[in-house]
This record gives sequence, C-alpha cells and structure tokens, in this order.
Amino acid sequence: MRLMVEARNLRKTYKRHDGSTIEAVKGVDLEIRQGEIFSLLGPNGAGKTTTISMISGLVEPTEGDASIGGFSITKQPMDAKRLMGFVPQEIALYPDLSARQNLAFFGRMYGLAGKTLSRRVDELVEFVDLSDRQNDRIDTFSGGMKRRINLAAGLLNSPPLIYMDEPTVGIDPQSRRRILDTVKLLREEEGMTVLYTTHLMEEAQELSDRVGIMDHGEIIAMGTQAELTQQVGEEDRLEFTIGAQEVAEALLERIQQETVGVTRILHNPPEQLSDESSESTPSRLTVFAKRGRTALPQIIQNLDAAGVEIQSVAVREPDLEAVFLALTGRALRD
Amino acid sequence: MRSILTIILNDLKIFFSQRGNLPGLLVIPVLLTLVIGWSLGQIGGDSGPTRLRVDLIDLDQTELSSELIDDLRAANDALVLCPQDNDADDYCRLDEEPLQLERAVERARSGSSSALIVIPAGYAGALEGFERVDIDYYSLSDPLRPDPVRQSLDAVLQRASSASMTTGVAGALLDNLTSAIELPPLAAETRAGFLRTLYLRSQEMLTEQPAPVRFRVADTASDGEDGSMNGFNQSAPGMGTLYVMFTVLGGMAVLLRERRQWTLQRLVVLPLSRAQILGAKIGVYFSLGMIQYFIVFAVGAAVGMDFGSNPSALLAVMAAFVLCITALTFSLAPWITSEGQARGLVLLLSLSLAPLGGAWWPLEIVPEFMQTIGHLSPVAWAMDAFQDLLWYDGGFPDVLPEIGVLLAAAAVLFAVGIRSFKYE
Repeated sequence: MRLMVEARNLRKTYKRHDGSTIEAVKGVDLEIRQGEIFSLLGPNGAGKTTTISMISGLVEPTEGDASIGGFSITKQPMDAKRLMGFVPQEIALYPDLSARQNLAFFGRMYGLAGKTLSRRVDELVEFVDLSDRQNDRIDTFSGGMKRRINLAAGLLNSPPLIYMDEPTVGIDPQSRRRILDTVKLLREEEGMTVLYTTHLMEEAQELSDRVGIMDHGEIIAMGTQAELTQQVGEEDRLEFTIGAQEVAEALLERIQQETVGVTRILHNPPEQLSDESSESTPSRLTVFAKRGRTALPQIIQNLDAAGVEIQSVAVREPDLEAVFLALTGRALRD
Repeated sequence: MRSILTIILNDLKIFFSQRGNLPGLLVIPVLLTLVIGWSLGQIGGDSGPTRLRVDLIDLDQTELSSELIDDLRAANDALVLCPQDNDADDYCRLDEEPLQLERAVERARSGSSSALIVIPAGYAGALEGFERVDIDYYSLSDPLRPDPVRQSLDAVLQRASSASMTTGVAGALLDNLTSAIELPPLAAETRAGFLRTLYLRSQEMLTEQPAPVRFRVADTASDGEDGSMNGFNQSAPGMGTLYVMFTVLGGMAVLLRERRQWTLQRLVVLPLSRAQILGAKIGVYFSLGMIQYFIVFAVGAAVGMDFGSNPSALLAVMAAFVLCITALTFSLAPWITSEGQARGLVLLLSLSLAPLGGAWWPLEIVPEFMQTIGHLSPVAWAMDAFQDLLWYDGGFPDVLPEIGVLLAAAAVLFAVGIRSFKYE
C-alpha cells in the first residue's frame, strides 16, 4: 500500500534559557500507509505533539525530514501542506467570530471561494452537527462544540491526510464519543489517512490500525495492537492498590517464587505516583502472571500475611497499557 | 497576495468586532483632538488679534497726556486701556467701580491686568519745559522677554521725548535769535502757539517719517483666520501620532494572543509561506495605524484645519511613521510573555515617546537640549515633517529627511523583528 507519511530520523532540540539543550524528539522514523489510522500513544511530554508539529511543517526539524504523499515538508512545504488537514490540541479558532466565519476564513486560505466555499462550510457544519449554531460566536460554545468546529476546520480542503493532536482533551464523554465516531467515519467513508495522537490507551485501542508508542522523545514500539501485545506475551496484569506502607523486597521475591505463573512484579511507591507524597497516598503493585485469575488468591494470601493493606485489585488482560508498562516500568497515566 | 489581503481583512474584522477597541481608536482620540485643538487655538487668540487689558491712570489730565493715550492706542490696537476703553461687556472687569491708583497697582500685581501705566501730574509741563518726567509702569512680565505693552509705551514715549526735544531746541533757538537780531520779544501766547505747532509737527513727522514703528501682539493665525485652526494643526497630527502608537503597539498583545490561541499556528500549517503570514500581519497593523491617522485628520478636516497643499507628502509622512511604529511592534512582540506586560509597555512607550517628540505641545517651546533628546523619539521626526507641511506649506523635498529617518528606523526594527518573530 502507498505510503502517505514517511518520516526519517526526525529530531528536535530546543535551547533552554540557561544555554543547555533539551532533545524533545530523538530521531523518529515513521511510516503511515494510505487509508490507515495510526496513533501515537504516550504520556504527556513524550514528544507526540513535537513530532506531529514537525510532520505538519509547524516546527522545523533540527535534523531529518518527513514527506507527505511524496512531498518533503521541508523542501516542498506548499505541496505537502495541500495534502493535509490539521486539528491541533488547542482550539485554534477566532473566539470573536462565528463558527461559519471561522470556517469561511480558513476555507479561503485553501483557495476556496464563492459557492464552493459556502457549500463546503454547509457540509462541514452539518457533518459536525452544528448547523443550528453556525452563526454564533465561538466564545459562546461549549468545549465539545468548539472541538467539533476545530475538527471541521481541519477538513475544509477535503484532505487525504489529517493530523489530530489529542482532539478529545478536556471534553465531556458524549462529545468525546462523537469525535471518535467521526474519526472512524472519515476513514471508512472518505478513505482518509489519520495520524492521531493520544495519551489515552482506550482511544488508541479503539481507533488504530497501528500504534506507535512514544516515551522520552522516542518511538519505543510500533505495530498493530496484536503485534504489540505479543511483545509482553500472554500475561495478565494484576494491579493492586495498597496502603502507603513500605513493601519489603523479600516479600515480592517470595510471591514471585511461590506463586505459579508469576513472572514479574513492579512496585510503584507513593513518591513515584504523586508529586505530593503523603502517608495517605496509596502505592501500586503490578504483578505480571500467566493465568492471572488463578494466581490471585495465593498473592492476596501472601500480602495479607505480611500485613499489607489491599485497597483494590484489578485483573487486566494484555493491552497497550501493559506494553507501555512492560517497556518503561511506568503506567501511561504516570 | 489574495491570501495576504484575506488575512488582513479578517484581522481588521476581528479588531472592529471587539467593542473595547473602539474608544481607543475613535472616541478618545477624536475628543482629545477637538479639546486640545480648541485649547491651543485659544492660546493663539480667538477671532481677531489678542486683546491686552492695560490699566492707565492719568494724573495729569492735560491735552498732552490725552495725546499720549491716543498715541498708545494707535501704536497697538490690541491694547484695551482701562478704564478709558472699557466696553459694555466690562472687558476691563471694573465692576462699575472707579479705578484708583491703589486698586490698579493691585490688579497689575495679581495679573488681573497685563500692565499699569501711570502718567504723573505735571507730565505736560515737564514735556513743554523740556524737563525730565517719570512714567510709572507696573507689570508681571519677565523683563528679559519682549513685552508688547512696554514696547508700545517705549515707542510712544520715544516719539514724545523727541518731539519735546525738538520743541526745546527750537524754543532756545527762537529766544537766541530774537535776542541776537534785537527783535521785539514775542508775546508769550504767540511763542507758546509756535512751539506747540512745532511739537505737533514733530510728533507727526516722527510717526510718519520714516516708517512708523508700530507694535502689536502678533496673532498666530493669518489675517482673518480663526486662531483655533492653528490649534488643530498641532492637535490633529499630535493626537493622531499618539493614538497610532497606542493602536499599533497594542498589536504586541494581539500577536501573543494569536500564538496562545493557536490561530497563528493554524495559519502556519496552511499552504502559506511564512513570508505571506508575516506580510499579512504587518499589513494589519500598518492598516490600523493609517486608519487611526485618517480618523483624527478627518476630525481636523471637519473643523476646517489647514492641510497645506501637498497631500501626497502628508500621506508619505503618515505612512513612514506608521511603518516605523509597526516595525517597533514586531521587534518587541517576540519578547512579550503576557498581555499585561504588553499593555504596560504600550502605555510606557506611548506616553513617553509622544510628549518627548512634541505630540502634545510644539517642540519649539522646550529647551534646546530637550529638543535634541526629543529626536530620539520617532514622534519628533514625524511632528517636524507635519509642521513643515501644515504650518509652512512645505513640499516633498522639505520632508524627505524626516521620511528617510523614519524609514531607516523601520528597516532596522523590522530586521530585528522578522528575525526573532515567533510562530509557535
């Protein structure tokens, strides 16, 4: 299948005020095929937005290049930009203008005019289900409505490729559901290629054909969900939320040795979970085990015997969260 | 080019849709232009020449003292001699009370009158006897600066002294002549009549030949023009220049807001070059600056301000100044980190550079070293050019140096601003 996006050794280094440098993206290689939904999954600060900003031409790479439909974003930016739409994380709209005025303005920037522009704006306000509010100022809209117009503004030129940078941040579940459905619709009905960034595993799992997991400016794993979960094997993940007390290393070793199927145990004490550590802050114990439900009673018994206060237990089957945890030793939400 | 125009029109639409911008663009500059224009005009004078209230106490009450008073009126028609020339509106502010010496001195000391002239008793006798006589003059005016009342009085007294001298010399000559050729002595009445005729003739000749020396308080307006027109020649370019700074420098906060709300970044990912985006943003603030000037000058036009005869040169000066301030905006915008900081900087720059450069009052009235310092402000160069065009009816060549300085400053500031402009 034809490649829509191809990034090679993308690197971005920023200078700090004190003269030191910080490498936000460390040599990312990326290929996105035409018509697929590709998600960049990672915690905040992983480098997802910087990567998407370089691929869209917003930020100039310190090193490397990306091509869109065969056009280099650094050498042929106009041709490359004509092929893409961009939905930033922020509500990039003029709050003093109406939804329709915003869409008409950005449409004119794509060279649309007259009846063509008017028709396209009509289609899009209809598509995001805001026809009745199209003449209201953006600053009178709810967060979810603004997000929908923000999305519509990225679709004005009917692009074959659309970038969506965390488009569901800060909105209610109903609006979020609507946006996720819209993304699927764009691929199914328009055949659009979608590059979607998120820090929410559920969104990446629901939408993506392939996922790239980012951490500390690098893509640490990439593939379909099946390919990625295979990397952590068939292990279930048993998540214990326990009290703030210390857990002895010896206890963890004993559980691992005595319980059938347990392969690994990670303990995140309170100071790793929260900036404001206190006695009331719980810590988390993650146990990787084949046939997790079978191993659960034995583990609980051991913890109980050692006086560890168990506040809650969850059994999770292999997913992207487990992949991230296995690769980084941290949960996505950390 | 079409994209640039679309961005400019869109940004102007947003600017005008924000009602908070209208007082700064329209209401306040218009009001200030009118108030300051009329105020400055009144300093120059209302209709006709300025009138000066001068108290005059004639303790002599003779024909010669009356002649002195007439001569004084003739020497300067701006003088209103009180109480002699008081009108029905009580211009002398005497409140129907007699003007005694003591009161007149008090009025002069308090500034209620421009001056007090006291013609002493025996003035005529002294003049006829070719003797010294002192006329008392009271005034608060600075003795080191020209005083139109004193100048008028000096001129009149000089003529009276010269005529008296002529009469004295002629009288002595007549007496010597009649004694030398042993003529019968002239009757006293005949002699006095002769000398009197001689005195009047001398006065007449001194007044008419050579050219009479006349003093008047020069009115700042040309003949027949309302003085307030000149006030607008200062207030319209001055207030226009001040508010161009407020409006255009305000762009620093807007550029920051555009980055924060990501509308600038959205433009960057559209198929537009960065030069197009930057050109459009410069165009927005240049347009706003020119609109601001047009608004203020339109007010000037409505009240009959004189625009000189070189509208194209006027337009060029306006454009050069607006371009310079736009460049200043773009050179500072990258360093702004909050809208509050931007607002503070707009106030600081506008309220320091405008008065320093002569937007509030003509730079000529400040000391020379302040005029030199003032030219560190682009406002001074713009105001110099406006003065050349509006006051002295200058042409393009007269304002080319000022335009050159403003454009050179704009080029340097743009070089800094474009280099460090932040798109993200």
